[in-house]
Amino acid sequence: MRWLVACLLFVVSTAVLADTFRFTAIPDEDQSRLEERFDKVAAYLENALGVEVEYVPVKSYGAAVSAFRNDQVQLAWFGGLTGVQARRLVPGSRAIAQGKEDAEFRTYFIANRDSEIDAQGDDLPKDVQGKAFTFGAKTSTSGRLMPEYFIREQFGAPPKSLFSRVGFSGDHSRTIALVESGAYDLGAVNFKVWDAAVADGRVDTDKVDVIWKTPTYPDYQWTLRGDADERYGAGFTGKVRKALLDMTDPALLASFPRSGFIPADNDDYAPIEDVGEELGLLR
Amino acid sequence: MGPERAPGLLAGDTFNLRLARRSLGLLALCLILLPFADLAVTTHDPWAELGRMLDGLLRPDFLATESLAHAIALTVGFALWGTLLGMLLGFPLALLFHRSRLVRGGCAFVRAIHELFWALLLLQVFGLSAVTAIAALALPYAGIFAKVYAEILELTPRAPVDALPEGTGRLSRFAYAELPMVWARLAGYTRYRFECAMRSSVLLGFVGLPTLGFHLESAFREGRYAEAGALLWMFYLLIASLGWWGHRRLLPWLALGSLFLLGPWPDVDATLLWRFVSVDLWPRPLLEGDWTGLWRWLGDIPDLLPAIGNTLLLGLLGTAGSLVVALLAWPLASRHFGNSITRVMGKGGLVLMRSTPELMLAFIFLLLLGPSMLPAWLALALHNGALIAFLVARHADAFTLDGPPLTATGRYAYTLLPRLYDGLLALLFYRAETIIRETALLGMLGIATLGFHIDSSFAYLMFDQAFFLLLVTAGLNIAVDAIARRYRPRETSSHCDRRVPGDAAC
Repeated sequence: MRWLVACLLFVVSTAVLADTFRFTAIPDEDQSRLEERFDKVAAYLENALGVEVEYVPVKSYGAAVSAFRNDQVQLAWFGGLTGVQARRLVPGSRAIAQGKEDAEFRTYFIANRDSEIDAQGDDLPKDVQGKAFTFGAKTSTSGRLMPEYFIREQFGAPPKSLFSRVGFSGDHSRTIALVESGAYDLGAVNFKVWDAAVADGRVDTDKVDVIWKTPTYPDYQWTLRGDADERYGAGFTGKVRKALLDMTDPALLASFPRSGFIPADNDDYAPIEDVGEELGLLR
Repeated sequence: MGPERAPGLLAGDTFNLRLARRSLGLLALCLILLPFADLAVTTHDPWAELGRMLDGLLRPDFLATESLAHAIALTVGFALWGTLLGMLLGFPLALLFHRSRLVRGGCAFVRAIHELFWALLLLQVFGLSAVTAIAALALPYAGIFAKVYAEILELTPRAPVDALPEGTGRLSRFAYAELPMVWARLAGYTRYRFECAMRSSVLLGFVGLPTLGFHLESAFREGRYAEAGALLWMFYLLIASLGWWGHRRLLPWLALGSLFLLGPWPDVDATLLWRFVSVDLWPRPLLEGDWTGLWRWLGDIPDLLPAIGNTLLLGLLGTAGSLVVALLAWPLASRHFGNSITRVMGKGGLVLMRSTPELMLAFIFLLLLGPSMLPAWLALALHNGALIAFLVARHADAFTLDGPPLTATGRYAYTLLPRLYDGLLALLFYRAETIIRETALLGMLGIATLGFHIDSSFAYLMFDQAFFLLLVTAGLNIAVDAIARRYRPRETSSHCDRRVPGDAAC
């Protein structure tokens, strides 16, 4: 019995922790050893903000959005679309910073050589029609939202009626693997993930290569809950933003991976919101 | 193939002929519907990726995963507490099961929804916490325990009750004359369910709860195969060694110990919870009483009929495929065939097949065969077929062979199969419901099953749509279960003791 009480006390005591500031982040590539990598970011933020900071590992953007909504995390590194989703669910929350690369993000369309689709200048080649195509994850901005938008814009038709088959690989690395193997003829992939895979020699460019690069659009950003100032002290939002913009240590930035952070606000993501609504992914 | 084409051969009304007609009917239906299934093979060069996978499995990196011990402990903790709570909820319900239609309906509903979908639903309220994980296991398990316990209790021998003196109270009768008679079976089934819970607990990681599956899915998805291989081996080892660490005396200590790891418990925001169950889950037009709007809302749900069609078709193909796999594979693990080496290999192969999450099997076949319904079919058939084969081999080993020595084929066709077939078919029909549930998980292959759309609805945060589709799925599962129950073998032949019902239901 005494044991049980001790257990219960322990369990309860861990629940009533003081107002720790929690954040989550899902890098768009290499999600290994997340805790080890992001605990360093947490230590940096703790030092800069003067409150206890904890990293909460989250697997999918869906789970990240619900953690943000449930106030289990107060700050999150979201993709373009998931950031919009989260800010709609938590009124008052704000995009405060984005990666230097995120102001001008791109999607690459990649194709298997055997599918005989050749790059044709400024547009997505016409011969993609009737081929098997895969997106990345369903709510990925670079793997789903924007590629679908550009496909519709160019062909005036939804992907479903354009391609013989439309899949959702669930991940950029998987898109590359599936197109390399020929399971799908072509796919849409986050340009940073592609560049990193090519640089590391993880992809055989004799088998799969880029056939089109989309125009640029805004993507990943840091979003903070609107009640942060109230809970952690006046001016807290500004402090968080400054801490993020001042992050210069390459070891920390490599976790995202970004070369640095620049200011951002909700309006920067209006184009993403419009496209999301147009495609019926937001309502 | 069907009975109508060969009236002479399969006519008659003996039990075994009825079984044969049903099986052939199932296969015939499958063949008739085959043209509607998308089974194209399109891949060109899967070998590089498959080579990397094999390399990862052969040269696993056990140090790549951080907090591996913690993940294992949580996997066990969730499974233990999920089973325990499911048992505590399910047992009282089992006593009411045959008396209350409401209880039966409620149980059928909670178990018709896959653990992963319960998790996705609960995640919205309890976040990524132990509450989500444990409730996602306990809710469907309560429904399963209620049903299976009720079926076991029904088989209680009457003699001890009849021997009691007149006027013995209901409780005393239950405690002294009924419960002891079925205790071993109840305990045996609960143990088996705990093993299922281990598998489910790993799966919960796929939606982000921090179990082994969390790291396994990430590593596999990102192509870090050495890490994925290590995690997979770890998982096999954990399941295979269950007999040692899952001792009756040790489990309470494991349960208590794991309590320390399960926190922190979420503080649930009551307004958020209320908003979720009273607003988010329901179509807005319905709440506003706008009936034409509700019609439009229904119209916005993507391709409901094709989704139901795909789900049923894949379920049927999966069931028929499992039958074939089970028929071919059970001798591999039976003591009546081969030698000790082939048996160890056979058993090992079957354990690997049934323990590997279908999602991974499906991805391997996706690389090999390209996107279509085929990878999903193969994954379902192999996984479920292996599971049934394993249980059938266990039944077979209970028989001693007498009479003149026969060749292996002779033993298979004339001595063993006739005795085992009704059990095999019963397991298959029990399994049909699970196969339908599992079709839901294979949406990543681009096959638009109901589960694919449920997953999308959760991803787009359209909870009303997700909830509606979950209700449709639950209805479909209940219907399939009812049909399967109608067609599964009812008579139990004297030589085959009645297996614990629901044996293959995980």
